[in-house]
Parts: sequence; structure tokens; C-alpha cells
Amino acid sequence: MKWLEFSFKRYRKWLLPLLILAAVTEGAAIVCGATFGKLEEGLFKGISFLGFMFPPDWSAFAEMVQPAFQSIIIAFLGTVFGTLLSVIFALLAAANISNPWVRNITRLLIGLERSIPEIVILLLLIAAFGLGSMPGIIALSLGCIGMLGKLLADTIEELDPIMMESMESVGANKMQIIVFGVLPQIMPNLISYALFRFEINIRLSVILGAVGAGGVGYELDYSFGMLQYHRAFTALLVIIVMIFGTERLSYILRGKIKMEGALK
Amino acid sequence: MIEVKNLTKSLPNGRMLLDGISFKVKKGEFVGILGPSGAGKTLTLRCLNGLLKPDKGEVIIQDENGKGHDICKINKRELRRVRQRIGVIFQGYHLVKRLSALENVMIGRLGQISTARSLFYGFTDGEAAEALLALEKVKIGHLAEIKTGNLSGGEMQRVAIARAIFQLPTLLIADEPISNLDPSNAKIIMKMIKPLSATMPVVGVFHQPEMTAKYCTRVIAIKDGKVIYDGDPKLSNDMLVEIYGEELSLIEQQEHAVPAMLIN
Amino acid sequence: MNTVEITLPSKKYKRRMTIFSVSALVVAVACIYMNFNPLGFFTEFHFVRDLLGEMFMPNYRMLADNPSIAYSILQTLSMAFLGTVYGGIIAVILAFLAALNTMPYRVVRVLTSITLSLLRVIPVLVVILIFVIAVGPGVFAGMLTLVITTIGTFGKLFAEIIENTENPPGEAIYSVGASRLQVIRFSIIPQILPSLIANLLYAFDVNIRTAIGLGIFGGGGIGFQLQMAKSVLHYKDVTALISIIIVLVILAEKLSDFLRRKILGDGKLR
Ligand SMILES: Nc1ncnc2c1ncn2[C@@H]1O[C@H](COP(=O)(O)OP(=O)(O)OP(=O)(O)O)[C@@H](O)[C@H]1O
Ligand SMILES: [Mg+2]
Repeated sequence: MKWLEFSFKRYRKWLLPLLILAAVTEGAAIVCGATFGKLEEGLFKGISFLGFMFPPDWSAFAEMVQPAFQSIIIAFLGTVFGTLLSVIFALLAAANISNPWVRNITRLLIGLERSIPEIVILLLLIAAFGLGSMPGIIALSLGCIGMLGKLLADTIEELDPIMMESMESVGANKMQIIVFGVLPQIMPNLISYALFRFEINIRLSVILGAVGAGGVGYELDYSFGMLQYHRAFTALLVIIVMIFGTERLSYILRGKIKMEGALK
Repeated sequence: MIEVKNLTKSLPNGRMLLDGISFKVKKGEFVGILGPSGAGKTLTLRCLNGLLKPDKGEVIIQDENGKGHDICKINKRELRRVRQRIGVIFQGYHLVKRLSALENVMIGRLGQISTARSLFYGFTDGEAAEALLALEKVKIGHLAEIKTGNLSGGEMQRVAIARAIFQLPTLLIADEPISNLDPSNAKIIMKMIKPLSATMPVVGVFHQPEMTAKYCTRVIAIKDGKVIYDGDPKLSNDMLVEIYGEELSLIEQQEHAVPAMLIN
Repeated sequence: MNTVEITLPSKKYKRRMTIFSVSALVVAVACIYMNFNPLGFFTEFHFVRDLLGEMFMPNYRMLADNPSIAYSILQTLSMAFLGTVYGGIIAVILAFLAALNTMPYRVVRVLTSITLSLLRVIPVLVVILIFVIAVGPGVFAGMLTLVITTIGTFGKLFAEIIENTENPPGEAIYSVGASRLQVIRFSIIPQILPSLIANLLYAFDVNIRTAIGLGIFGGGGIGFQLQMAKSVLHYKDVTALISIIIVLVILAEKLSDFLRRKILGDGKLR
């Protein structure tokens, strides 16, 4: 009995949160129609369906190469233009470069962008420009602003104020301070953030592809739609290789930058 | 020549940070400013090149043509123009760490070249050769290509001096240029700064009375935002006590006072 | 007379220009290959303007007219929540099976590790498409997808967190004759709990965003409503839904931040 008392006291502060958690879970489960038993069944069905998709349609590999390449290019261009945009936004959003008004408004825009999922941006762009790679690339570029813009703005704000003052002291103007002081200092961060974003953009380019930006995501969606599951499995393999490859590549490159940046 | 008249700066709560500071420094003078921590030395120096606007007072600086400008009143553009010819050496690490020593030296002339050139072409070969000469003058020509972030404190301070030399200034101001250096490096730096006073007024803040006694032509002591001494660099014991307080006389009198007296 | 070799600025300029031109060329070729005109966004801006014209003002009346919209918000929230809870629980279990210091059997460890790595690279799109076929479109499929992606994103991380716990207390407990389960309970769990909670709150934040996207591929919820409104060209409804989405995402972020601070104090994530 003593044991029970002791235990209860100990866990009491967890009791209420756990009860709330259980209640919310229960409620959510009702909304989703997901009991624990059904959950298991659903997961099992999904996994067995994956088995059903096996083996891949080997002959479709050749057809996948070009779409995969296109997806990579879309992600690449999205990252390049997105990074350029983000640098501009970051400079406008950094307190030590821009004026308070511009800074706050830019920060607001960056925050706003961050809370819109890329796919929503894409849907809007498709509504404006029609299907194609253009809305995809623009959506990915705009998608960079929320993340890269914020990270870079924070990096810039952490720059040594004495360094900036000392440049100001020799009569340099804003642009010169940016080009000779700010950019060299943030370059390692800039590159490693951009690489990180490239990984994300590769994943996104697959999703956006399915909505109409083309590339291997479209092939996947199309195969599913046409019930060609073995072909879909081929696309899946290609996508996995793509994601895995870029992840490795970016990891290696970022390691190199870290090594170089270590001796500041 | 630089003339400071009645500099005054106070906090909103009424505390006087600078309380009517006046002095005048001519070409050929190397003025050392002494004073306890928090006396307002850095604030005074920041007023000298317009990084800080005083509430009241004038700072008149002669440009290369002998024309006087009141730093506190001129507009931004003019201020940048005057600053081109003010060499600054800040305390510690104010260089762009990821640029080479040579590039940091060349930054000294950023204000003097056109924005378009600085952004697109950068500096010329002639300027690079000149910058290298400046580095050789401070005996670190061999470090020209090394990133300043990897240099030692003493070497960085020399880069800063080289930058000031390269700038062809008409006035040099330095805030604690030898504070984080070992004694022998401190002497070397002092020896490098001193000859510059032949062609321009030099004003420096120091925490080492023995150093100012040896190298400066004049000492100004600031305490609580007021000039309490202005004259011979060799301070008397009483004066030292007045500047730095009783503790010095009780505990550290020997350390500080003896070298000063030896020089006497 | 110069005693040291320096790279002359003119040379640096040439190098810079070469790098710049080559990268510009690569980007240009890529643009041409994709038939993408970066300036198109501005030259064809009238499309955007027309769209914006149609999108404003947002039509919030539809919220009242169509009760299924409010319900779809609840669905998206539930989906993200359950995905986080179930996915989190499974991820923790798998992480214990994959961590060196909790799983003595090599075979199990390696198998779980491989599973976790695979789940990490499988794109969400594939998962949702599979579940839509396996269990039919709707919130349930969306939720299952989130369970899988949560495991994928956080399983490996959790395993690493478990492996990074301090060993000494564990060994000390072993040496007084504690069982493996007791070590997990008294040494490992207290150490990993804060970062688990922080990461799960972060996972909820991520899952809300994903859940919205899933709706478009048959995952139900507000994303589905958005897709519907767009496909019938009701752009004023689209605007209203987007503004709701923004509020939802911001609120989720604030909530997860708030809970993290409340539970863990002011510490940073991880
Ligand atoms: N923005 C500010 N707000 C409030 N107080 C300030 C501000 N700037 C400076 N001060 C105060 O002004 C005083 C003088 O500062 P200053 O930096 O000039 O000291 P200093 O003489 O250079 O000291 P040290 O030798 O330690 O560098 C200090 O007491 C400091 O707290
Ligand atoms: Mg100071």
C-alpha cells in the first residue's frame, strides 16, 4: 500500500496532462475514424500493398531518367533563385542593415511565407500561369524565403557590430559594407543553408510534380492513376535514389564547408 | 588638426556621460587619453569620427585641403567624405575575418573609390601593391594572403594599422590598440603608431600610463566625462591616484608608478 | 621588389568573372532546358494580378454556408495530432529497438535501423498514394501517412538521442544488479524525455503543414477543401481558406512553442 501511495505522488503531476492527451487522442480518433485496431489494419494494408507493387517494372527505368533529371533541375533552379531572393529579403530583414520599418515589414512577410505550405503557393501559381515547370520553380523559389530568409537574417544580425562600424568609419557606404563585410562573413552559412534547402526542394519537387509541375513526381502520380503499380514502384525507386543521393552529396559538401569555416 | 569643443552627452535619466570635453590636437602630436573604465573615453573617440552624435559641442576636423568640417553638423554624404581620411584602429577584432589581411588593408580605401568600381571590379593591382607595402611597413608582409580570422591578436592589430596607413589619413584615432597584447608586442605597436604622428594628429585611448609616458607627446586624462588633466605625458604619482583612485596608491602603486617615475 | 607573392586583384577579378559566367551559363542552360523564363513572373505579372483580383475579398461567408469546412479544419488538426501521437509512439519503440545501448541483438538492431532509414527517404507523396489505394481516400489515409512520415523523420533521430545518453548511470545501475528494463526506465528515459517531448511538439508543427498538403492528394481535411474550391474556380473561397491555413499554421507553431516552454523551461530544441 505504501508503495502505491509513493508511486501516485510521484506521477501525480503527469496525471492531468496524460488524461488530457488521452481525451484529445480519443476525440481525434473519432474525427479520423481511427481506432487502434483499425490503425493496425490500415498500416498492414499499406505495407502489403507495397508488396503487391513489387517487382518494379524494369523496362520503365529508361523512361524515368529524363523526368528525374527534370525534377532535379526544378529543385536546382528553385534553390538558386530562392537563395538569391532570400539574401535580398535577409538583408532587408536584418536590423543592422535596414531601417526598423523595412525590417519589421520584411520579417512579417518572411513569417507569413513560412506559414504557407509550398503546395498552396503552387496551386495559386498554377491557377495564375497554368501547368508546367514555371509555377513549380517559382513556388520552390518563394518557398525558400521563409526558411532561408529568416536563418540568414538572424546570421546577419549576429555579425560583429564593431566590424561593420569599422567599415563605416572609413567612409564605406551600405552597399560596400554588404559586399565587403556582410557577404564574405555569411558565405559559409549561406552555402550550407542553401544546400540544406536543396535537399528539401528535391523532396518538394516530387510532390509539386504530382500536382502539375512535371518531373518524376508526375510519373509516379500518373502510374498510380493508371493502376500501373509496377511502374509506380520503379518511380519510387528512382525517387529514393534521387533523395538519398542529394542527401549524401549535400552532407559531404556541408562537411567540407564546416571544415573550412572552422578556422574563421 | 582636430579640435573638440565642449562635447556633451547625457542619458535620458540625466546622467552626464560626457560633460564639456574640449581639446585640440595638431599635426605632430601623439595624444594619449587615459582614464578609469567607464570614464567616457570610447564615447569621446566615437564622437571624433561621427559614429556618435553628441548632444552639444563641435568636432572640427581639417580635411586634406586644410578645410575644417564640423563632424556633428555635416550631412551623411559629407560625413562619408571626411571619414575617408580618418584612420581608425578599434580595440580588438574589428576586421573582416574571412577576408585576407591584404583585402582588409584595401578596405581602408573603400570610401575613396567609386561604388560601381568597388562592387564590380574591386581594387586595382596598383592598390594591392600599395597595400602590400603598408603591410610590409608593419612587418607582416608575409601574412598578406592569410585570412585575418586566423591571425593572432597582435597581427590583427598590425593589419589594422596597415589599413590606417594605406588610407592616407589626415587624422588617426585608436581605441585601446594595445590592450590585449603582450608587453613586447604592445611596445612594437606603439613604435609603429608613433611615427605616423609626423604627418597627422594621432589620438589614442590607453590603459597603460607607462606606455603613454614613453611614446606620447601629450596626455589627456578623462574622468566622469570631464577632462581632468591635459599636458605632459609623464604623470605624477598624485595625478595617477587622482585618475585611477585610491586603490592604485594602496596596492598597485609600485607597479604603475615606478616605471613612470623611472622615465622621469 | 615585392618579397611575397600575392594574387593580384586583376587575377582575382578574372577568376571571379569566370566562376560567375560559368554559373550563370549553367543556370541559363537549365532555364532553357526547362523552358523557364525567370523574368516571366514579372513580364507575365498580369496573370498574377488577374488572379489576385479574383481572389479578393476573401469570402468568409462560405464558412457559414458550408459546415463541412469547419469540420475539415478539425479533421486536419486531428490528422496531424494522431499522426504525431501514434507515429511518435511507434518511432520511440522502433528507436529503442535500433539503439545500441538498449537492443542487445544485432539482427533486430540492423533490421530496425534499415527500416527507419528507408522510411526516412520514402517521399510523402508515395505514402499517401499507397494509403489512398489501400484504405480509400479520406482523413484516415492522411493520418496513416503522417504516422509513417513521423516515424521516418524522427525514428532515426530518436535512436541517436537514445544512443547519446550518458552511459555511467546505466553502468552503475547494472553493477547493482538491475535488469535491462530497469536501466531503460531509470537511466535512459529520464535523460531522453525532454528532447523527445521537444521533438514531438516540433513534429506536430511539421505535421500540420504536411496534413494540409496531403488533403490535395486525397488525404481529406482543409487541403481537400482548398483543392475543391480551386478546381471549381471559387477563388474568393480559396483566399479565405488560405488565410485560415495561415492562422492554423501560426497557431500550431505558437502552441507547440508555448507547450515546449511550459514543459521544458526556456531551453532550446534538443
Ligand atoms: N547607450 C548607452 N546607454 C547607457 N549608458 C551608456 C551608453 N553608452 C555608454 N554608456 C555609459 O557611458 C560610460 C562611458 O563609456 P565608455 O565606453 O566611454 O567608457 P570607457 O572610458 O571607454 O571605458 P573602458 O576603459 O572600460 O573602455 C559607461 O559608464 C557606459 O556605461
Ligand atoms: Mg572603452
